[in-house]
Amino acid sequence: MKKNSMWSLKLNTASLVLIPAAVGINYIGKLFAGALKLPLWLDSIGTILAACLAGPVVGALCGAINNIIYGFTLDPVSFIYAVSSVCIGVAAGILAYKGKIKGVVSAILSGLVIALVSTLISTPINIGMYGGQTGNLWGDALFTWCTASHLPIWLASGLDELVVDIPDKVAATLIAFGIFKALPKKLTILYKNDQEVESLD
Amino acid sequence: MKSISLYQDKNTPVHKLDPLSKILYIVVANLIPVLLGNRIATMAFILISIVILTIGRVLKRTAPMLGFSGLVLITVVIIQGIFRQGNATPVLTLGSVVFYKEGLLFALNITLNVINILMSFSILVLTTKPSDMVETFVRLGLSPKIGYVMSSVFQIIPQMTETMATITDAQRSRGMETEGKLITRLKAFFPLISPVVMNSLITTRERAIALEVRGFDSTQKKSFLSELKKTRSDQIFKAALILVFILSLVGRVLMWLK
Repeated sequence: MKKNSMWSLKLNTASLVLIPAAVGINYIGKLFAGALKLPLWLDSIGTILAACLAGPVVGALCGAINNIIYGFTLDPVSFIYAVSSVCIGVAAGILAYKGKIKGVVSAILSGLVIALVSTLISTPINIGMYGGQTGNLWGDALFTWCTASHLPIWLASGLDELVVDIPDKVAATLIAFGIFKALPKKLTILYKNDQEVESLD
Repeated sequence: MKSISLYQDKNTPVHKLDPLSKILYIVVANLIPVLLGNRIATMAFILISIVILTIGRVLKRTAPMLGFSGLVLITVVIIQGIFRQGNATPVLTLGSVVFYKEGLLFALNITLNVINILMSFSILVLTTKPSDMVETFVRLGLSPKIGYVMSSVFQIIPQMTETMATITDAQRSRGMETEGKLITRLKAFFPLISPVVMNSLITTRERAIALEVRGFDSTQKKSFLSELKKTRSDQIFKAALILVFILSLVGRVLMWLK
């Protein structure tokens, strides 16, 4: 039996049902970060986890639906940042599928890659919407310093986003990886994409 | 159960409008200022949005959303006003800090743009029931499965936040610290999030089985429980929007040809 391609659009019930749970985890991560006053967003843990479990397509869907729900319940500006979430889901899915999230070190490295993707996509949106700022205290402080030092706006905004994204995405990937490792096999088996038949002898 | 959506259940003409009309309004309200490229259009649409929100009696509900973005906008005004590249004309001097005209105008553009987006989206979000929105999309051809996924998020999240509150209380009664230094707060994160996450993921498996037993995977065409109501006001509203859009397109082309 051949392994299905990671881009196969076969969305079975288990994958679809994963999406609300992942959006819920995103929501809770965001709430916790706010309640504990952590300087991170932590709103992509669910997306990365769903991508690890079920691949880039589900990760992308998770990201999109996540921002649509945020738009309806918290802040309409989230609708516009949906592209960024989708790309995070895709990146995490590809990394997980290729086996790049297997241990703590590889999880950190993958988190760095995801942070890079997120920065690349979010920076143009930040520049268009807010003139380059991100709304995060430390990031915007760095942005102010860069602008005062006459650095070009795409660099200032990129650094602003990167300096928040690296800790945020590395932490999110580590947390998602930790949760993934602790999940019972009867759950993870639902999402294994290959048609391999396991035999007992 | 507490709902997480911002929908306000009232009986106004705006509430009775089809969600598609409101989406068309969002597109038009944001596209025309871009087409015409001046602040007057943006301000006009903000005013129109305020009027519509007042008719829908949901204007007060925009305050929290504005507050959310307001903080960022204030920092944008300050940072762009003082530090923007190409700042040349001083306008305001507070002590040793100088605000420049170019930066302030740029910040004004951003602020108006963000407020316009917020207001136009608020009309949709505050006066449309989420289930109606999803139903509109499914009627248009969105797969009912994706429609289910979106509807279920609105139900699952309140459940998860309640669980989170319970678990926070339980952990705190067992002596876990949630306030204090950054390290203390970081250490509190995992014991809080793990039970909630595990719980919700394990129930997804049960939910998947429950759905399949009820025919979720069936390929038969699905029917709708509620009837479709098309009103005259919908058609008038949509026609007015399209008319304004075409007029501004014409205006743009004329400006370009001049």
